[in-house]
Amino acid sequence: MREIIVTELIQGLQEMAREFAHYLPRVIVMLIVVFIGWVIAYLLKVIMRSILRLPRFSKLSDNAGATELLKQAALPSSSELLSRVVFWVAWVGFILLGVSALGIVGFEEYTSRFFLFLPRLFVGIVILFFGFLAAGFFSRAALLAAVNADIRSSRLVSHTVRIIISIFTISMVFEVLGVAEGTLLIAFGTAFGALMLALAIAFGIGGKDLAKEFLERRLGKGKPKEREDELFPL
Amino acid sequence: MPVRNQPGWYKDAIIYQIHVRTFFDANNDGIGDFQGLTQKLDYVQQLGVDTIWLMPFFPSPLRDDGYDISDYTSVHSRYGALEDFKTFLATAHDRGVRVIIEMVLNHTSDQHPWFLESRSSRDNPKRDWYVWSDTDARYRGARIIFLDTEMSNWAWDPISKAYYWHRFFSHQPDLNYDNPAVREEMWNVMKFWLDLGVDGFRLDAVPYLIEREETNCENLPETHAIVRDLRKRVDEQYPGTMLLAEANQWPADLCQYFGEGDEFHMAFHFPLMPRMFMGLRLEDRKPITEILQQTPEIPPSCQWSLFLRNHDELTLEMVTDIERDYMYDIYAQDKSMRLNLGIRRRLAPLLDNDRRRIEIMNGMLMSLPGTPIIYYGDEIGMGDNIYLGDRNGVRTPMQWSGGWNGGFSAADPESLYSPPILNPVYGYQAVNVLSQNRTHHSLLSWMKRLISVRRSTPVFGSGSIEFLHPANHRVLAYVRQLGKETVLVVNNLSSAAQAVELDLGRYRGNILIEMFGKNVFPRISDVPYLLTMGPYQFYWFRLRRI
Amino acid sequence: MPEETLLSDDFLRQLINVGEVDILIGLPTHNNAGTIQQVTHAIQAGILKCFPRDRAVIINADGGSRDGTPQMVTGVSIDDVWSASKVYALRTLHAVSTEYGSSPEPGRALRTILAAADLLQAKVCVIISADEATIEPDWLQKLVKPVYRDNFDLALPIYQRQRFEGLLMRNVLYPMVRSIYGCRVREPFASDFAISSRLATDFLNQDLWNQDWVRLGPEISLTTAAITGSYRICQAFLGVRAHTDPSATDLILALRRTVGALFASLDANFPMWSKISSSQPVPLIDGTCAITPEAININRERLRDMFANGVSELDPVFQYILSPQTLADLHRIAALDLNEFRYPPELWVRTVFEFAASFHQSVINRDHIIQALGPLFRGRALSFLEEISDATEEQIEMNVERLCGEFERLKPYFLKVWNEKR
Repeated sequence: MREIIVTELIQGLQEMAREFAHYLPRVIVMLIVVFIGWVIAYLLKVIMRSILRLPRFSKLSDNAGATELLKQAALPSSSELLSRVVFWVAWVGFILLGVSALGIVGFEEYTSRFFLFLPRLFVGIVILFFGFLAAGFFSRAALLAAVNADIRSSRLVSHTVRIIISIFTISMVFEVLGVAEGTLLIAFGTAFGALMLALAIAFGIGGKDLAKEFLERRLGKGKPKEREDELFPL
Repeated sequence: MPVRNQPGWYKDAIIYQIHVRTFFDANNDGIGDFQGLTQKLDYVQQLGVDTIWLMPFFPSPLRDDGYDISDYTSVHSRYGALEDFKTFLATAHDRGVRVIIEMVLNHTSDQHPWFLESRSSRDNPKRDWYVWSDTDARYRGARIIFLDTEMSNWAWDPISKAYYWHRFFSHQPDLNYDNPAVREEMWNVMKFWLDLGVDGFRLDAVPYLIEREETNCENLPETHAIVRDLRKRVDEQYPGTMLLAEANQWPADLCQYFGEGDEFHMAFHFPLMPRMFMGLRLEDRKPITEILQQTPEIPPSCQWSLFLRNHDELTLEMVTDIERDYMYDIYAQDKSMRLNLGIRRRLAPLLDNDRRRIEIMNGMLMSLPGTPIIYYGDEIGMGDNIYLGDRNGVRTPMQWSGGWNGGFSAADPESLYSPPILNPVYGYQAVNVLSQNRTHHSLLSWMKRLISVRRSTPVFGSGSIEFLHPANHRVLAYVRQLGKETVLVVNNLSSAAQAVELDLGRYRGNILIEMFGKNVFPRISDVPYLLTMGPYQFYWFRLRRI
Repeated sequence: MPEETLLSDDFLRQLINVGEVDILIGLPTHNNAGTIQQVTHAIQAGILKCFPRDRAVIINADGGSRDGTPQMVTGVSIDDVWSASKVYALRTLHAVSTEYGSSPEPGRALRTILAAADLLQAKVCVIISADEATIEPDWLQKLVKPVYRDNFDLALPIYQRQRFEGLLMRNVLYPMVRSIYGCRVREPFASDFAISSRLATDFLNQDLWNQDWVRLGPEISLTTAAITGSYRICQAFLGVRAHTDPSATDLILALRRTVGALFASLDANFPMWSKISSSQPVPLIDGTCAITPEAININRERLRDMFANGVSELDPVFQYILSPQTLADLHRIAALDLNEFRYPPELWVRTVFEFAASFHQSVINRDHIIQALGPLFRGRALSFLEEISDATEEQIEMNVERLCGEFERLKPYFLKVWNEKR
């Protein structure tokens, strides 16, 4: 009995050793890949950080309103954040590569899905960035135009423009990432419609005097204005 | 021998203007004469011209270079005898060269026997042959022509104690054409010369024959009536005789001297000439085309006479004040060159001795509608001497060679009627017939070729003209047509190369043949015809449909 | 050569027909049928009266007119084609038109005209505005003669102004060009001016025609190029200038064309203007500046409200552009009543300089910086008009002179903020 147990044990241990010896190289390969990946990811992070340190990017980020947003969320600056994202995306990619070297059945599918997702993630980030940039630019343009046209609710106009462009941007990002597309479409439609309705009501109630004045002017009725000199800047 | 009574011969003529005194001195007295002129008829014939216009050679005190005549039916002794003239005339005719002479109708010299009689007393039968007045207040509307020398059109005669009328110099009293006797006598004068065989007359100072109060005393209907009468007599008794009017007037007034084909055969186109110089300097065809567009149609039997220069100053009477100022500033900056609202210079000095400009001006002279007149010496590019008084600077001796007196005379140089041109640029050693005859590319050789091409077709003399108006205003282009013959003339008035597109659609299908070299140019198609031209270049193209 | 892409085949053919000229008159147009005949006839009369012997051409650069403007321009040419209504002229006068684009663009119009002038070897190129309803024939001589005969390179105009005209010129452009570039040109933005062939060729060959500010406002760029290139500049008094172009009251457009172009010129010329510490007068040919003393009828309340509203609403934008001190001062005066409202010269100068510095650093989009100046300018305009409402001509001139002095005095401050980080 004892001999059988010892024999089985020895066989089991021998089996284990054989299996271990069979998988050990793969584990070593995995570890090496992960380590190299860490080094490369770190280098990428450093390179990205130095590129993004150029004044142009931080200015763009300011203009996009990203700097403000991140500060409020107690997150690091946009250049630091991007550098870290690059680091983690690169390292995760190498980790997955390393794990796939182990030859675990069914794992390759997840690895390939990850790598297929990466371009969409990149596009999404770009859309997000430029979308916020556009939102900032156009909202400021609207603000300036409204102020120079002597429109009273110029801030409202500006914010509205920013919100609309931001909503467009976010919905496009989600669509690109393929996250809850259907739900998003409905939510966007609902929100946009509600916004328009709110604006219409606001204008109808709050702007009726303005509309009346406009129509009177166009149709030539109302009190004749005293002729005044125009300013000729040049 | 030219055909005597050939109608319209003057339309295809090329006239050479000569002063006997200046041309050639055969008897070595320092003055040109008819014998000398006769000896040089070969030269005239070889030049290619077919008509000589002789300036006055009549007896005269010569205070106006022979235009102050003291005997209408003789030859001044300095130029020879009447027999010499007859010999000259016959020799010219033998060479196929016609001769027209001056006939100064308007006035005589104050040394003429008629005036000497007229002034002798108020009762003299010839008193009424001139225009007398007790005051100088008559005919106030008449302008003074010789502004530089005359203060009035009336001159006081101390002998007859009255004023006499003179439109030119005071020593040139006007004949009274209201007197039939005057008209008859002048016809007799003309008859005298016609009987000798002259082919025509240049009638000097025609517009001024008649005076009337409250008019400008020019171009009056009575003047035209006198001309018509002369013409009628000439046509009846001496058919083929040509009458050429010297009338410095605007085109509308000039045209009246053609009448309805029953007055003059030809008239000088005075307004065109300064505008040719103007257009060349402005590098703009506008002055030339405008004056020709303003020129009314003339009767089919009549002809314009064109010239660049002559024995008188380049007249600027028939231009606007702006144009006159421009011409003075450009062509006569030295005020001593100016005389009587004109510029007293020869062709070559006016054009800065620029061979290309001289050529294009002669090219236009030969191709514009009219009979061209070449002033003696301009065919070799003679210069002038503005330091000689009046207009004598353009009447210097003809330059035949680089030798003694430029080959004009064997007399002592001090005895010449006028010093020859001596400076290194225009002097007779640099500019003369002998050396230019030996050079294929001389101006003289070129002029002979030009005249030859001109004479190769009657289209220049008798054809119609239609101006093209290319957008490039520096190019003057026109089409001459006579029957089936069509010639395209293109002149680049600019000192720089030019490109020009001509609208020749009407002549589509024709090929152009350049008339000097007879080379073929591309066929005319629907697209504008592009020509590129060098500075002051001109083309004459014959159009042919083959 | 730069003009290769500017000249259509048809235009080039027309220029070949024109040939070398002495005087080229450039007419940029866009739907100016109401005034163009008056302008072209005045030009024609000016040429015939003052330059009858000189070779001249009128070049019309049109930005897509639909009212027959180009045809009206070419109708004024004088040639030898016989017509009943003939004007006497010694020479042919060509009037040539080309369409440079389907919409107006001042930079391209000027560039087309300068290219034509270069090709035709014009000794002087004079630009005339197509909406000059009050143009006189002798304006041409006043502008052309200094360049054509007296060897100047640029002749700028001076107009007789009404009080409420030219406020941007008097409050920004003139004092700023004076203090920055050291040159006392009263009208650095000119729509009527004459330039020599030398300056025209150099300006044409500069590599700046694709810049937005030059496309919009080439006139300022030309003036600064002349100043920085040490060309000889003079001014000529022309007369009354009437405004018929409806866009003449468009402040933002005016700011873009003038202030924007001026600010943009500062970058490239910094080495030169940073060393200038005083200004020099510019010769004035014929006459003096004149301001007509008629009363002003401006909606002061509206101006003040637009200013105050602008300061309030654009505060987030101003935080990028202005220093905290200047912004605080603006908030302070925005709170003043209409009767007490004053926009002091010193504050205005600081405002303008800080805007220029922000423009240089592109703290935000440059066009937004220019637009943001609009409400502030209105406040300054109101204050300026209050100061001169009862003033005589001399007093107005002294007022302008004081403002210029302030600009010159604060130039060191400008140099300090020029590279200061926002």
